Amino acid sequence: MTESLWAVAAIWIGMALVATLISVRIGISVALVEICVGIAGGNLLSLHSTAWIDFLAAVGSVLLTFLAGAEIDLEIVKRKWKETLGIGMASFLAPFLGAMAYAYWVAGWSLEASEIAGIALSTTSVAVVYAVMVERGYNATELGKVILAACFITDLGTVLALGLLFAQYNWWLVAFVLVMAATLWKLHAVTAWFFARVGTKISEPETKFILVILFALGALAQAAQSEAVLPAYLVGMVLAPLFLANRTLAQRMRVIAFSILTPFYFLKAGVLVSLRAVLASAALIAIFLGVKMGAKFLGVWPLAHAFSFGRREAMYTTLLMSTGLTFGTISALYGLSHELITQEQYAILVTAVILSAIVPTVIAERWFDPGVEPPEETLTRRSSDPISPGA
Amino acid sequence: MFRKILVANDGSEGAKKAVQAAIDLAKRYGSELHAISVEERLPHYAATVGEVVEAKQEAADFFRKVTQDAEAAALAQDVPITSHVLPGHEVEAIVTFAKDHGFDLLVIGFMGHSRIFGRIWGSTSQNLAKLSPCTVLVVK
Repeated sequence: MTESLWAVAAIWIGMALVATLISVRIGISVALVEICVGIAGGNLLSLHSTAWIDFLAAVGSVLLTFLAGAEIDLEIVKRKWKETLGIGMASFLAPFLGAMAYAYWVAGWSLEASEIAGIALSTTSVAVVYAVMVERGYNATELGKVILAACFITDLGTVLALGLLFAQYNWWLVAFVLVMAATLWKLHAVTAWFFARVGTKISEPETKFILVILFALGALAQAAQSEAVLPAYLVGMVLAPLFLANRTLAQRMRVIAFSILTPFYFLKAGVLVSLRAVLASAALIAIFLGVKMGAKFLGVWPLAHAFSFGRREAMYTTLLMSTGLTFGTISALYGLSHELITQEQYAILVTAVILSAIVPTVIAERWFDPGVEPPEETLTRRSSDPISPGA
Repeated sequence: MFRKILVANDGSEGAKKAVQAAIDLAKRYGSELHAISVEERLPHYAATVGEVVEAKQEAADFFRKVTQDAEAAALAQDVPITSHVLPGHEVEAIVTFAKDHGFDLLVIGFMGHSRIFGRIWGSTSQNLAKLSPCTVLVVK
């Protein structure tokens, strides 16, 4: 029997609503809760993805990646380039090589599956790190800014690896690289001109303009057997100054992404996780998490220490850079959809990625907090606020 | 009797009653009056930085309104009030603040959780009464 389109849509959006309500109640990010609700839906209700869900999920992952790129503060990368590039690259390379080596030589995975394992576990979640920093007021310190900028460099390493490692090295790839380079070269100026020309309208010409660029470069990436998240992240980086100056546009794009696109992505990422595989491979999941954290320690800690971070700050930095979520799941899903990894390997990697969002953060906050007092909030009054007498 | 009074203000109905009681006491004893609001944890394990930024903005907007209302109520009684908004866990932040700044009275509204939650963890008001370094007045 053909499944009703609206019934499927109602079930999936219903799961997204449940995830949102749980997330609001317990104060944990909706993305993580959506993955967990997806796992429950896939295992308890035997839900599965459809072609249109795959499309929405793919657009969701591309938009997420674009928004992540658009949040980069390029100034701090330029100003502290030695620390940022050093820590960021080490934070990518050490776990990438470590997890790949373990998967290939010890776990006996195929080379391609091992590469996916390396990429999925090399990531650092900028958003997880940012939330911890903001809560403690470190985001305004030099240490905090360097850590955040280094996280972006790590993610850049991840998307470059995902975009280039599995690409077909043929004329399509040459065309993709050339078109992307030309687009990125002129994009900032053209976009600024276009935004100034059309202005803000209810029909969202700015958002549509960005989507055209992302989809066109995504199509070329696909033709070259590369991955659409690569141009999305780079386009985001190039347009970051525009988006940091125009918070409203970024907010409107987030509304579109979080209401109708990313729920399908995170739910799908969860639906594809087999609980049976997770239980059967619990030890391997723990080992992968340990390999990721150990490799991050080897890669990041010595550099953080060398750049005059105190012992406690270096450990705190290392643990925060061991976190991962969005790019880890994107990499694992890429591997599964391109048949580079099996369903069981996907379940192992996604579970290890979810744990890597939680475990290092908890350890860092509980035992290695550098101990800076959280600053008191300054609530700026708005012109629309009533002035309280005596204020 | 009370030189420094701290009132916990989360914008709830219970907290509004607590603010009113604290203002009355401050007026009667000529005490220094402070209000504290605690911005509880931002969404952890977020997918984008923007998600955190927006949650932070929403909280700031909410507490701006809460703070203004308390200031207006105090001013109506001619009582000076100093407001503080701190990030962190509600109980931990209030207890630490009261300890660090030498308050001798903490005024809180009755903040109930669900019966099951309250039975397992204790309500916020119970925990504050238990852990506070000074006298606690729970206003119902």
